[in-house]
Amino acid sequence: MAKVLIPTPLRQYAGKQDSVELSGSTVGEVLNALTTQHPDLRRQLYNDQGKLRSFVNVYLNDEDIRYLEKDATPVKDGDTVSIVPSIAGGSVAAPPEPAVAELSKDEVLRYSRHLIMPEVGAEGQLKLKAAKVLLVGTGGLGAPLGLYLAAAGVGRIGLVDFDVVDFTNLQRQVIHGTSDVGRKKLDSAADRMHEINPFVRIDKHEVALSSENALGILKDYDIVVDGTDNFPTRYLVNDACVLLGKPNVYGSIFRFEGQATVFAYEGGPCYRCLYPEPPPPGLVPSCAEGGVLGILPGTIGLIQATETVKLILGIGAPLVGRLLLYDALAMRFRELKLRKNPECPVCGDHPTVTKLIDYEQFCGILKPVTTEGDIDPTEVKAKIDRGDSFVLIDVREPHEYQICSIPTAQLIPLGQLPQRLDELDRDIEIVAHCKSGMRSARAVDILTKAGFHARNMKGGILAWSDRVDPTVPKY
Amino acid sequence: MIRIEPDAWRDMVAHAQATYPHECCGAMLGSITDEKTVRIALPLENAYTGERGSRYELRPEDLLRADREARSRGLDVIGIYHSHPDCDAYFSETDLKNSCPWYSFVVLSIRNGAFHHANSWLPDAEQTKAEREELTY
Repeated sequence: MAKVLIPTPLRQYAGKQDSVELSGSTVGEVLNALTTQHPDLRRQLYNDQGKLRSFVNVYLNDEDIRYLEKDATPVKDGDTVSIVPSIAGGSVAAPPEPAVAELSKDEVLRYSRHLIMPEVGAEGQLKLKAAKVLLVGTGGLGAPLGLYLAAAGVGRIGLVDFDVVDFTNLQRQVIHGTSDVGRKKLDSAADRMHEINPFVRIDKHEVALSSENALGILKDYDIVVDGTDNFPTRYLVNDACVLLGKPNVYGSIFRFEGQATVFAYEGGPCYRCLYPEPPPPGLVPSCAEGGVLGILPGTIGLIQATETVKLILGIGAPLVGRLLLYDALAMRFRELKLRKNPECPVCGDHPTVTKLIDYEQFCGILKPVTTEGDIDPTEVKAKIDRGDSFVLIDVREPHEYQICSIPTAQLIPLGQLPQRLDELDRDIEIVAHCKSGMRSARAVDILTKAGFHARNMKGGILAWSDRVDPTVPKY
Repeated sequence: MIRIEPDAWRDMVAHAQATYPHECCGAMLGSITDEKTVRIALPLENAYTGERGSRYELRPEDLLRADREARSRGLDVIGIYHSHPDCDAYFSETDLKNSCPWYSFVVLSIRNGAFHHANSWLPDAEQTKAEREELTY
């Protein structure tokens, strides 16, 4: 049994109790038991999307569960779960602008290599100092952007991120170091940027950008730089930029290739002019699934940084109406001409998207992937140990299988599965796994349609490493 | 309606004046019967890492500590206070966007280092508006 401490104002929804004893093996289960027992609490703690409200933090004893295993954090007998709001504020809606009338002696020294170029000069440096740039994401693209925009003297830089630094980030996210692993990316990035340039003001936005908060956050900035890695956020950033009339400096990366352009700038095209519809979910793998050359985001992020500085200074030819394509293996840049689409639903002549929408839904992302019939890695382990009759298939790629695998698993990469169905027996239960459970969910779909009895191993080999065999490396 | 007892009020004002020109912040411990009564003001650290003249941030850990402190005295955390140096005791957009609907938020206006006036606010769950609450001290 764990004890959940109820904050005073919420006791009216919990039968006036100041604490409730509940059972559950994880924090998620305990909270679920709590809100099942006291349904009125649910509305206080969770929003309409079923996510914890932005101001709600959950602590297990003295630790924020975000830095443990979130909802899956195990709970022991006698543990205490606390609900703690996050609170901040300040007298001004937007903190005061730095005085921009002139450069101090220290700044003149610091920026001297800019100042001696007539294209920048003191006038340009003051423009940089007065500029407000928002970086969405402090990952692969955000890292070089943050470092160089801070060094260049952009006066106010906003960072949006809610993640913590992880060992797998260090191969490319050079703003974070080994000693930062486990820290909030916002703190790690801001410290590094302040170390480079203490004159820069950094606003930390510790949120997942959403339709509810995007306009409020973006409106205080002149330029938005998109360093995100997923389609819902990309469409969200694009639409918010179009609605607010802010340029969107775009970059994206995949394996050895990258793209960059400037959207929503003075009559130029927007992301939706280029891609009116998102790809079907799962078609375009993320960096976590497809991998990325660690240096690639450096190259693309610096193109974004260059365009940002050019826009602020008003010099050169901005990358508007042109999509720059970069191929690291061929070491070649190409350019595609982009046109504004008069039929574009958000920036066209007769827009149909006039406010922010539900981007998860737009991108076809079903909130929880079907969980019915899912099987937990610990249950799979028990089946193996009992000698149950079933087949475990691994639908990852061969090079992933080489990194780590589960004994007894048979490798059938997802792409080959439809052709290799005859290797499987329709009378024996099949359990499919991949890295995190996404691809194996599609494998289960294929198998089920073909008449097999198949189940998906929840959380993939990553969860296996967490809960069954910690010697299995995570990648 | 929220009433702050004289000792707690004296501590809050002293805290706000001592941190001037920076914002201060803290928890208000007390009880809720027919009206809210603040018995103890617990100063907490302003953990905002930027310019603290116009911003504050409470560490959740500190709030957790305040809650334990309150429980050990048979009281509850019933509100949060902070100061606005050299401006009025309104509930700003920044206050609203980082608020929590469970508490009363008392704002103290400090002018040139001296207490000027105060208001108490009750933000809503969606962080879209805050209502003024009657405050006596």
